[in-house]
Amino acid sequence: MLREEELKTFVEGTTNYFEVAAQQPATIGSPYLMEGAPQVHDYTGIISISGKREGVVYFTAPRAMLTVLLMKMQENDFSHETMRDLVGEVANTISGNARRDFGRDFVISVPSVLAGEKPEVPQKPGQRSFIIPINWRSHSAKLVVSLT
Amino acid sequence: MNVAGADRNRRLITAGAGTALALVMGLALLAGFRLATQIRSSITALQTASELQTYPGVLTQQLTALRQRLETREYTGQAHAELAGTVGRFNGDIRQLATRGKLQSAQLQEAVQMWQAYRPVLAPILAFSGEPYVDTDAGSSLSESGKLYYGNVRQAQLLAKQNVGRLHRLLSAVTRSLEAQTSGAAARLRALLSGGVLAAFVLAAAAAYLQLTRIRHERAAREAQEQTRDILKTVREGFFLLDADYKIGSVWSEALTHIFDRSDFAGLSFEKLLENRVPPNTLATAMKYIKLLWGDRAHENLMKSINPLGQLEISMDNGRGGKETRYLQFDFHRVLGPKGVKHVLCSVSDITSNVLLAKELQEAQENANAQVDMMVGMMHVDPLQLGSFLDTTQTGLQLINAILKEPARTDAEFRKKLGGLFRELHSIKGEASALNLMSIAQRVHRLEDMVSELKKKAELSGNDFLPMVLKLDELLAHLRGVREMATRLTALKDSATSGADAPRSSAAERPGGRSGEDLTPTMQALAEKLGRDHRKAFRLTLSGLANVPAPYVATVKDCLIQMLRNSAVHGIEPCEARRALAKSDVGAVRVDFRRSGDGYELVFEDDGAGISPQALKDAAVRKSIITAEEAASMDTRSAMALIFRPGFSTQEEVTMDAGRGVGMDVVARTVYGLGGKIGVSTNPGRFTRFKIVLPAAEAASSAVA
Repeated sequence: MLREEELKTFVEGTTNYFEVAAQQPATIGSPYLMEGAPQVHDYTGIISISGKREGVVYFTAPRAMLTVLLMKMQENDFSHETMRDLVGEVANTISGNARRDFGRDFVISVPSVLAGEKPEVPQKPGQRSFIIPINWRSHSAKLVVSLT
Repeated sequence: MNVAGADRNRRLITAGAGTALALVMGLALLAGFRLATQIRSSITALQTASELQTYPGVLTQQLTALRQRLETREYTGQAHAELAGTVGRFNGDIRQLATRGKLQSAQLQEAVQMWQAYRPVLAPILAFSGEPYVDTDAGSSLSESGKLYYGNVRQAQLLAKQNVGRLHRLLSAVTRSLEAQTSGAAARLRALLSGGVLAAFVLAAAAAYLQLTRIRHERAAREAQEQTRDILKTVREGFFLLDADYKIGSVWSEALTHIFDRSDFAGLSFEKLLENRVPPNTLATAMKYIKLLWGDRAHENLMKSINPLGQLEISMDNGRGGKETRYLQFDFHRVLGPKGVKHVLCSVSDITSNVLLAKELQEAQENANAQVDMMVGMMHVDPLQLGSFLDTTQTGLQLINAILKEPARTDAEFRKKLGGLFRELHSIKGEASALNLMSIAQRVHRLEDMVSELKKKAELSGNDFLPMVLKLDELLAHLRGVREMATRLTALKDSATSGADAPRSSAAERPGGRSGEDLTPTMQALAEKLGRDHRKAFRLTLSGLANVPAPYVATVKDCLIQMLRNSAVHGIEPCEARRALAKSDVGAVRVDFRRSGDGYELVFEDDGAGISPQALKDAAVRKSIITAEEAASMDTRSAMALIFRPGFSTQEEVTMDAGRGVGMDVVARTVYGLGGKIGVSTNPGRFTRFKIVLPAAEAASSAVA
């Protein structure tokens, strides 16, 4: 079973990104469980994990939220590619946090990014996931931890 | 013997041998010097003797020549002078030889004596001076002195002729003797020099060996140092030595820096090493133990067995501003010297992963045991009841998850979830307890604890719900396991009874088809369990429960569970108390379900302590549900209604069955939700009776919908 420290590492990796990148911390909403893949937003940054745990962890955010985030980061380029890079960067930060805290226990892949309508998240069917809403300003994204 | 001792001895032996060899060489050189001096002297003597042995012949010739010259009246001055020179050299040389103490020999003595015989004969000759001739008309003739001189020469010539052979042999013998002496000395000198050279070789070889040995030892020492360094760098345990002041020495293994996240160990006291990382009393115990190790009478194995640092929990910075817990294992070994304990060798290992693994294994073991217990428990539960429970629980947990899923950002929004979560959890726990499925009941109880803790928090956020969602996930996984187990048990039971018995009819197939499951076994099981848990003796009488319509089964079950728990905890008194009140030792709880008009009526009654309106009011004030003023102005009816308020409980201590103040409010809410009514009547010290009136089942279905 996933441990609290492990879940917190992923959550902190995500919220810290907002604090560092936009100087405005994100908070988390009420976490819950979901069987199967939840509906993802416009952009999704994914890391695959193997080793002590198996599965995926991903950050999925709506375009509107990413746009405001980029503005806070003094970026002028709001292109599709920049959005992709941004969620990839969040996934990379989550990955870095996990590497720092779990070391060799976790083998973590390079982040990949999904975008567009109904992208296929590489998740086991029937697998229960932890959904942690990430609230930042008036926007809300999701951190999905789907590990066994 | 240790390596250093062996090395010291080897050096001493080598140095001794070298000194002895040098001494031998010195003595040999001294002896050689003396021999050389002796040889030089012998050679001089040999030269003298060699010359000396020619003198008798020369002397004879010179005397003969002098005689002939005198006879032929020739000039004699030169011959005389040559003779005088020869006699002088003979005299000097033979004296020189005779004075050499070591050359004293019979031959030389005899030669000296013979030469002594020459001297009186030769003396007048050598003393002669002047002209031996006189000139006359007839020519030259010998003068008187010349005649005497001639006579002496003639006598000396005769003596010389007579002795020349003997004297020559004697002097030759002396010469040979001297030659032999010289040869002997030279041979000794050669031997001595050979010995010296050999000794020099041996000394050089010894020096070379010593040097090689030293180089080899230095290399071995370097390699040993390098190996020690490699070991200390590679070994995963932290090693260090403690001195008599309990301070760490200057050498330690690199793992120590990783274990303690520091590198300033040299001179650091053991106390400082652990300070602020372990509780003060643990540190004090550790220091006492370390002091004991220095005692001469401390027994190593005994000390090992009482080591208080075998599994030490320490708190470390996690590098992210927080703390993390590590488990360290310290081992101590005393290093003994000639004067007692020299050092204490400490080894420290990070056994965090082992401890966590052991905990996980223990947890797994407990889970396995719980599963076995649950399986045993499940074997006594009707499969239909179990299936119904699992379905209800699954639905309940889905509802809990739905409550969690409701978006929340503010404290109020998060706090709003707690009441709903509590009610659902409490309901699930009640059913699980009723079926004696304690592994589920305990898990739900822990979740309830979490919710209780959250209620006490001043400010709630999403982070506070993370542990809960993890526990919920664990509970769902556990339920899945229980369901699988139930399926297997059912299959097992079916295979055991197949062919022998007809399949059991399900509730839906019972005559009439409208009734749900029979709640009687569940309630009886719950009553037995509650009696055991709370050490209460009571008899439960049930009637009509087999006729509960299917839409009401869950509601009736929830209500009965809650009321039965209330009776067991609050209502039925202990035997002693009942006896004092002239009641039967065994309490009575009666449940009756029957049709009443268009609907149904459920009556629950116990002959316990009843409900005291004042006790209700006091508890409500304590829990800040009402104020003291409100309590004072509250009539009995209103006071009785307090038991249906959320969060109300007269029990201070929270147990599995009561104390959370969630229960009767759930019952009331459910009953009202179905369009029913609930009433309570009591007589303190005598009884408590609940009467629930439910509408017709069809009405209930429409109310739910």
